[in-house]
Amino acid sequence: MKSEILYPGAFPMVRVELGAGEHIKAESGAMVSASPTIDIESKMEGGFLGALSRKLLTGEKFFFQTLKANRGAGEVLLAPTVPGEIVVLELDGVNEYLVQKDGFLAGAETVKIESQMQSFTRGLLGGEGFFILKISGTGPLILNSFGAIHKVELKPEQEYIVDNSHLVAWSSTTSYNIERAASGWVASFTSGEGFVCRFRGPGVVYIQSRNPGSFGAWIRQFIPVSE
Amino acid sequence: MTIVPNALCFGAEFPATGSPCHVEVSSRGITLHVEGYSPQPDGNTVPFSLLTVSSGGLDHDQLVVKWGKEPSTRTPYVKDPVLIRAFREAAPPELTHHFEAAAAKVRQARTHRRRMWGIVVGSLGALVLFLWLGSDWLVDLAVSRIPVEWEQKLGESAYRDFLAKQDALKGGPAVAAVNEMTQRLTSQVTKSPYTFEITVVKSDVVNAFALPGGYIVVFTGLMKKAESGEEVAGVLSHEVNHVLQRHGLNRIVKTLGLMAVVTIFVGDPQGLAGLMKQVGLELVTLKFGRAQETEADLTGLQLLQRAKIDPAGMIRFFERLSEKDQGRMEWLSTHPMSTARAERLKAELVSLPKTIPEPFTFDWKKIQESLGVQPVATP
Repeated sequence: MKSEILYPGAFPMVRVELGAGEHIKAESGAMVSASPTIDIESKMEGGFLGALSRKLLTGEKFFFQTLKANRGAGEVLLAPTVPGEIVVLELDGVNEYLVQKDGFLAGAETVKIESQMQSFTRGLLGGEGFFILKISGTGPLILNSFGAIHKVELKPEQEYIVDNSHLVAWSSTTSYNIERAASGWVASFTSGEGFVCRFRGPGVVYIQSRNPGSFGAWIRQFIPVSE
Repeated sequence: MTIVPNALCFGAEFPATGSPCHVEVSSRGITLHVEGYSPQPDGNTVPFSLLTVSSGGLDHDQLVVKWGKEPSTRTPYVKDPVLIRAFREAAPPELTHHFEAAAAKVRQARTHRRRMWGIVVGSLGALVLFLWLGSDWLVDLAVSRIPVEWEQKLGESAYRDFLAKQDALKGGPAVAAVNEMTQRLTSQVTKSPYTFEITVVKSDVVNAFALPGGYIVVFTGLMKKAESGEEVAGVLSHEVNHVLQRHGLNRIVKTLGLMAVVTIFVGDPQGLAGLMKQVGLELVTLKFGRAQETEADLTGLQLLQRAKIDPAGMIRFFERLSEKDQGRMEWLSTHPMSTARAERLKAELVSLPKTIPEPFTFDWKKIQESLGVQPVATP
């Protein structure tokens, strides 16, 4: 399985080349086009209850689609819903990523996806909700973001502060605490940041250059209100 | 040599994502193999005396081992529980006691988190239970605070709106008959703040309904289907009791309150959760509706008895309705099943004192003829 990002920038696609018999799972609706040798199946990853809990708890889609190169090698083009960059990470069985609910685009069949409950404060204030995706296993993992993806590398004990709604994914060796952005409650909110996450290395943190919630609030003012 | 990685190694010379590595624990220390890196300068096995350990990772559940001087510090992160246990068993206690303390803290945090979730889920559950069980009491309290004049205004405006679009009978034998029934029923109601107003509307619908404040509508369809005046009087008695017990108002308060409470808690969710909210609300209001219907049935029966109208008519009417009920599910409906209603009424009737019913002054066959029902030739 080989992957290549086409048209890098705001409107990219990812081309995945599947060898005969290879599978890939993708977010439902992610497929743009495929070779005729590819079969599409929809699958409830983690069984019915797993899928249901993922749908209800993380807001991720209930079904994933599985693209199988059953009748010979072929290619698949995949694209996310929102404008933004795509990044391909290689999982080696040891590293593990936590991904906010909209960040997953596709992954090899050997990539394992679980929903993980966050601690109460992280869930309430972290901006990713109470449940996030924990992704481990082996093979390529394809993530997407809203805006550009920026990778922050943290050495052991190195700290870094990220606005909570700009998070895409982070390795499980990093830890983070939720803090007020400024020292006072009022200043925290008037600064427009509210809460931030203080990450501590080692590991990597992928951040997105746009905040989906703020963009939604901004665009809402232009939507005509129907009576 | 290819290795099977079981940990991630960090340090100045490794990439920020960490290098996959293989950690082996022995009684002397740990051995680290990192693909593409030369073995340790001080031999393959690092003795326990050179190590410092701590906990790390998102949930502080990973074992962090560190040795060496900058810049050649090596810091493997181990999350495999089997390997962590092996390390704890092999390492001298003075080395692991920091880690043990950290592990205890993790367990404590986990218990704390579970307790926190328990409290949140528990208090939500308790609130739901309270609203479920205490809602009748709360609604009754709210309803008792609403003056009858408001209720009448509310009912009247809905009544006038409805009648404006309907063809109401102005007079005639049918209206006179309904008025006689109402007169006999309401004369038995003492201490009621309501003046009843009843209209007969031309429609084939086999039904009648009451609005808050004493406004009742009877459809000619019901009068055509009924086999006697007593059957119609039974339905009227039921509707009069809806008014007396302020069921309409009760229902408005309950639905609005329930909507408000549910919206406060679950917001306006999309998709499946939104659908579940809607279905849940619907089912609760239906259950509430059935309780009201049963109450109006029983008090309606008592009123008939007091007005000396034969209650057998009411029971007979429900029995005939039940023939149409086949295949309907009670818990999906506002009205209880007609068979069950008839049975409940029969049981109630036994416990009431026997009275001798007084017939109405009108001839029901003539009334029906005036509504256009063809007389059935009796042999």
